[in-house]
Amino acid sequence: MENTIEVENLVKIFGDITAVKNVSFKIKKGEIFAFLGPNGAGKTTTINMLTTLVKPTEGNARVAGYDIRADPQKVREKIGIVFQDSSLDRDLTAYDNMLIHGRIYGYGGTALREKIGELLRFVELEKFKKKIVKTFSGGMARRLEIAKALLHEPEVLFLDEPTLGLDPQTRTRIWEYITQMKEEHEMTIFLTTHYMDEAEQFAERIAIIDHGEIIAKGTPDKLKKKVGSDVVYLTVANGKKKCVDAAFVKNCTFLPDERIELGVENAGEAIPRLFELAEQKHFKIVNVSYHKPTLNDVFLHLTGREIREERGDSFEMVRAVMRRRGR
Amino acid sequence: MRAFTTLTYRQIKRFSNARSRVVGSFVNPIIWLVFFGLGWSKVFNFPMAKQIFGGVDYLSFLAPGIVAMTIFSSSFISGISVIWDKQFGFLKEILVAPSSRKAAIVGRIVGDSLTSLLQGIIILLLTFTIAESLSPSGIPYVLFIGFILAVGFASFGVSLALKMTSMEGFQMVMSFLMLPLLFLSGAFYPISAMPSWMQILAHINPLTYAVDGSRYFLIGTSNFPIAMDIGILALLSLIFLGVALYLFERATID
Repeated sequence: MENTIEVENLVKIFGDITAVKNVSFKIKKGEIFAFLGPNGAGKTTTINMLTTLVKPTEGNARVAGYDIRADPQKVREKIGIVFQDSSLDRDLTAYDNMLIHGRIYGYGGTALREKIGELLRFVELEKFKKKIVKTFSGGMARRLEIAKALLHEPEVLFLDEPTLGLDPQTRTRIWEYITQMKEEHEMTIFLTTHYMDEAEQFAERIAIIDHGEIIAKGTPDKLKKKVGSDVVYLTVANGKKKCVDAAFVKNCTFLPDERIELGVENAGEAIPRLFELAEQKHFKIVNVSYHKPTLNDVFLHLTGREIREERGDSFEMVRAVMRRRGR
Repeated sequence: MRAFTTLTYRQIKRFSNARSRVVGSFVNPIIWLVFFGLGWSKVFNFPMAKQIFGGVDYLSFLAPGIVAMTIFSSSFISGISVIWDKQFGFLKEILVAPSSRKAAIVGRIVGDSLTSLLQGIIILLLTFTIAESLSPSGIPYVLFIGFILAVGFASFGVSLALKMTSMEGFQMVMSFLMLPLLFLSGAFYPISAMPSWMQILAHINPLTYAVDGSRYFLIGTSNFPIAMDIGILALLSLIFLGVALYLFERATID
């Protein structure tokens, strides 16, 4: 199968900060590919490079068959983007936003008007087409943003945190639009998110990115196998840094928060055996929890941190959300 | 050129949607015309005064200046919407579009120039009601000069906005430049009456040529030959437009 996006050793340096370090990946035609990582991991910078908004410091990429360095104009024709923060004109109506977008992309006349009507119906905003975007809720603005990105029938759709700051119902609706569009038009979708559940549910392949580097990639199932079938978190009294030495423990990692992460085949059977072991070896278990591994466990396993614990960026996120709501 | 017409449309639409902006844009020139103009016209109400002002009463002398001032300030401030677009994201929409950036930015500048010109027209018509010696046949020429002026300062405003990140910063630079440019333009008193160091500054001020050219067509006298007024103004506006094109072509998001 042909690749719609091919990225080779992409690097972006801002001053003395390396935002993206040697990132390489390939996305097949018609695939949904997700970049998963905490805020500030380099997701948006990568999107900005692939969408020709920012020039890479090193490396190169091809998007829809065109080189992002040599043919940025051609790349722009083939892509649609839903930015992390709005790219709407808040002082114009929903219809005017669509009209301006369509005309900038070279459409016009009745064909454009019909297409706008069709897409506004699709994202359920037809009733609001004469309303100024400033008055829209966050979810409505995002739906309009998606309709706008789809207007010129892009081959590749970039979605940068498409559901950030939205309520669960709106998130579900937005995913319905995206999957429906993908099926109807065989679009290739590149998305970034820090919602693990979304990546897990909708992405066919995932790259986990942290501090500008891809630390793992593959299908969600393959990634979760890195941790084991089940994962048990154990806290031992006195914080003894000693691994549980038993055949049923497949892998064992010390987490910075004093917990021990154990990959096991079956947690239900493993936990009683851990208590037996504790009695024999004279250590005391003060806390135990287990669950089926999620992508969050994969991230925790690979980096020792929870994906959402990035404190420094929460302000940035609030700002982005506020800006998007436009209040 | 769809991008050109689209951006022109957008700027005009934005202007007409913002009613407070429409009303606000007339307040300043009217204050100058009425409080400043009417006030001084009584002071300059002696027989010799007309000689100072090229043979007309003070209000007729002032009127072309006020029209140029209206177009100048509204086209200059229109650049601030670029900062607005940077902060609220519409700029990205243009930067990732496959259309020509040159067409987009020229379209934008033309759109802003047209709205500025519209404000100028309304102020111009207003001046006819209070100034006695204005020639109506000059109106189309004044609009032509006004358009060149508007393109120049809209380009200047856009270029400045592309280099700035905050609206406060833009407004600071603008208020820093606005009054000196106005006082050095000959809008309020003849350039020939200025001290020589001020005259030098007046000669490098684009607004001077717009005021002088408008005066030529409205009251029939001017400081410079009309060809020189239009020539220099057009040249300066083209340079500003060139700078805006250059900067916009290289614009990236921060």
